[in-house]
Amino acid sequence: MRAAEPDRAGHVERAGVRLGYEVFGHGDLTILLLPTWTIIHCRFWKMQVPYLARRYQVITYDGPGNGRSDRVTDPTLYGAESYAADAMAVLDACDVERAVVVGLSMGGQYATRIAALHPERVLGVALIGPAMSLADPDPDRAGIFDKVHQPYPEDPQGWDKYNLAYWHDHYQDFAEFFFGQVFSERHSTKPIEDAVGWALEGGPAMLEAEEARPEPEVPDTEIFTKIDCPVLVIHGTKDRIQPHRVGEEAARLSQGTLVSMKGSGHMPNVRDPVKVNLVLRDFVERLGR
Amino acid sequence: MRARYPEREGFVDRDGVEVHFEVYGDGEPTLFLIPPSPITHSRIWKGLIPHLARHYRVVTFDGRGNGGSGRPGEPDAHSQEANLGDLVAVLDASDTPKAVVVAHCHASWWAVALATAHPERVEALVAIEPGVPYLGRPQPHWVETAPHWDEVLDDPKGWELNNRHSYVTRHRDWVEFFFGEQLVEPHSTKQFEDAVDWALESSGEVLAAGEEGFEIGVPERDTAMAWYRSLNLPTLTIHGELDVCQHVERGREFARITGGDLLVVEGAGHLTPAREPVEVNRAIRHFVDELKGVSMPGQSWARGMSRRKKALFLSSPIGLGHARRDLSVAQELRKIEPDLEIEWLAQHPVTTVLAEAGETIHPASEWLASESGHIASEAAGHELHCFQALRRMDEILVANFMVFQEVVEEGHYDLVIGDEAWDVDYYWHENPELKRGANVWLTDFVGYLPMPDGGDHEAFLTADYNAEMIEHIARFPRIRDRAIFVGNPDDIYPAAFGPDLPKIRDWTEDHFSFSGYITGFEAPTPGQVEEWRHDLGYDSEEKVCIVTVGGSGVGRALLEKVIAAYPLAQELVPELRMVAVTGPRIEPESLPAHPGLEVRGYVGDLYRHLAVSDLAVVQGGLTTTMELTAAQRPFLYFPLINHFEQNFHVRHRLDQYGAGRAMDYRSTDPDLMAEAMTSEVGREVRYRHVETDGAERAARMISELI
Repeated sequence: MRAAEPDRAGHVERAGVRLGYEVFGHGDLTILLLPTWTIIHCRFWKMQVPYLARRYQVITYDGPGNGRSDRVTDPTLYGAESYAADAMAVLDACDVERAVVVGLSMGGQYATRIAALHPERVLGVALIGPAMSLADPDPDRAGIFDKVHQPYPEDPQGWDKYNLAYWHDHYQDFAEFFFGQVFSERHSTKPIEDAVGWALEGGPAMLEAEEARPEPEVPDTEIFTKIDCPVLVIHGTKDRIQPHRVGEEAARLSQGTLVSMKGSGHMPNVRDPVKVNLVLRDFVERLGR
Repeated sequence: MRARYPEREGFVDRDGVEVHFEVYGDGEPTLFLIPPSPITHSRIWKGLIPHLARHYRVVTFDGRGNGGSGRPGEPDAHSQEANLGDLVAVLDASDTPKAVVVAHCHASWWAVALATAHPERVEALVAIEPGVPYLGRPQPHWVETAPHWDEVLDDPKGWELNNRHSYVTRHRDWVEFFFGEQLVEPHSTKQFEDAVDWALESSGEVLAAGEEGFEIGVPERDTAMAWYRSLNLPTLTIHGELDVCQHVERGREFARITGGDLLVVEGAGHLTPAREPVEVNRAIRHFVDELKGVSMPGQSWARGMSRRKKALFLSSPIGLGHARRDLSVAQELRKIEPDLEIEWLAQHPVTTVLAEAGETIHPASEWLASESGHIASEAAGHELHCFQALRRMDEILVANFMVFQEVVEEGHYDLVIGDEAWDVDYYWHENPELKRGANVWLTDFVGYLPMPDGGDHEAFLTADYNAEMIEHIARFPRIRDRAIFVGNPDDIYPAAFGPDLPKIRDWTEDHFSFSGYITGFEAPTPGQVEEWRHDLGYDSEEKVCIVTVGGSGVGRALLEKVIAAYPLAQELVPELRMVAVTGPRIEPESLPAHPGLEVRGYVGDLYRHLAVSDLAVVQGGLTTTMELTAAQRPFLYFPLINHFEQNFHVRHRLDQYGAGRAMDYRSTDPDLMAEAMTSEVGREVRYRHVETDGAERAARMISELI
């Protein structure tokens, strides 16, 4: 059973793709919780929705390729600007003029494009473990995007599995590896099980399409010059996907607020939901004044 | 001593009436604290100023008729116009273009008048127990007594004292009755004394004129209501639910009509700034920070399981003895919990000892108001009225608690260890929702005891303080996770907490663990004594008498008395060598000189000198006398006059050990002093053994919480 059922649910069609959204709560302020990499769907916000929806209107939706959205494989549908257009369509469908936009990991890329392209629709932006090209990756992940199209080695280890062919051959094994990296905190069996389960609702074809997505029109290093609204960055110091320095850089470039989560991994919203909920609430309350 | 003094003071002349104002701090925005006058003056804000001035700039003043301001006796001089003019004049004189106004009782009406006449000068308004006309319902006793204002009543009682004649002829009676009614909270003796004292700085005539003048200029109901409605600024109303001066409904309506925030304090009366300073401080701080719209501060938060174990140690600065015993407890604790990080929230002179030991002192320590300075300011001659000094330390305790609370809210401590940290113990019981971390309370005495000179009233006061402490612990047993008595059950003074209260020993045995005494040092073995003496420059032939008076300002009187007896004693014991240690607050050169007498300001490792002396002459403080007891040295001790702890608790404990010769300062003349010194010097003593494992036992008890 879910802790909070949506008050409304529906689909919006954009660029020929049906996107499933859900609306919770009735507050004056709206929080839009964005999708992330299509490997999982919007249930990854399950620890935030019931709490935030007691005070605000909360909207979640699935991006293309997973959850209640169409399983599409056109790479252009996975570009950051395309995600921004999806988000606008969802806000329109829900009659929401402005929202606080929250993005996790790749959702950070989407959130910043929404704020830059549609400033009138955005009260503030919260980025959690943003996946943005703002700092060098950790050594074990260096170069993985270059090898993604090549054949994978005979006995692939670690990030060798970040590989199209491997995804097609051993999708679940990749998901188990990947979320093991995401949840670097000890005792994370349940979050890993959840995430792998959500991954199995999507599939390698969608990951392959997203891998081929167009580069963002404005690079990450410049996008913050186009954003005026308040920015919050939450980043774990044990994030093995996006190192903490990415978050530091995002906070610096945006002149935003950095909340460092010592000992947290890539999805503190799942593993440290209480703290993240309280920080989000504090951020939203200040915006609402 | 105050917890904080103004950075700037001044007077502004208002048509012949001097108005005294004060400015504190330099933050943003400015808070303008307006007291209701002439019943009281700016000191009613004493529980708030130190905290607020640490975050904002604070301006306050004495309203006409009280405090440092003039005392006009004509009702016209107390009109709305006159008071409003004072507010503007003080804002101007203090260079304050705009302020968040905080007003109590009927001063809230003047604040409304200010915001109406000069909206550009008022950023927001905090109205505390507001006395704002036409709102809510007036308390019936005001309505009933108003018609008799000008009458001369035959022996008026209670609220009947509310008339001009009674104000003038029975000023104190009225004021005591009034504040007695207002302080509905139990255990409010100190707040009552303060309020009455401040009221009596004015006079009955001026109070009556103030009462009559207040009505002059108050508009008709419709106009006043229009003023309230058009206050276009954020407001916060704080109101004690049981207020018998301004009915709480008045505060509720004020909050409603101004569309502002409301904080009703349940169980509180008319004087929340005095009786609930912590909650009022926090509410004002929250309100002002919201106004500032402060952008979200960055923070670093550690997952619970990623945190290192951390303790915050508070060591009372009253008497240096705590520093060494707390250090030894900390050292033992680290042996059990090697990974434990200990930070100290402490003040001079404890910080000196801690810094020498390489301990980590929390930077917020420098915000603490000086407790030892306060105690020194309370001492005179050979006297320190320790109980009253603690009571008068109330504003310092609030100020320091607010610092402490900010530190624990940010620091994520596993444990707070308070060695007689009165502020934490008291205010966590008064505000139990603020507790953070496990809490250890350490003390070496339990129970305030009245001095005979204080009579029935002091006995009533000490019993009241004890009762409050007993009620605190009964109601919130979760606040002290561990209470440790530094000593043994036999050390507890055999008395009750007061009439109808339990025996101190029974209650303490039920609520404390006993660590045994903690000396914080190891006494020399008999074989080591000669070696130590040699190291310290004492040869075996001479008889060494150490005189020491501790670190507080008290001490000169005793030093002079001992030095005066020295030549007499030296005649009887020619090999007598005297070393008098003055401590940091007394200049050694200011004392008389004699051959054979050395007067020294500071002696490193004084305990080592004491431990090998042939005689010591000291005050009645626990640390020094127990050091001498542990080292098996003969000593004379002079409990400070009116110091209940030294006269009862310490003396009783020393009697358990058969240690020392108690002397009465007042009746000791140089002859008696010389006689006592010569009969004690070099005497072989056999005191009961003082345990050496106290620190380890205390550390073990504490470690169970981490």
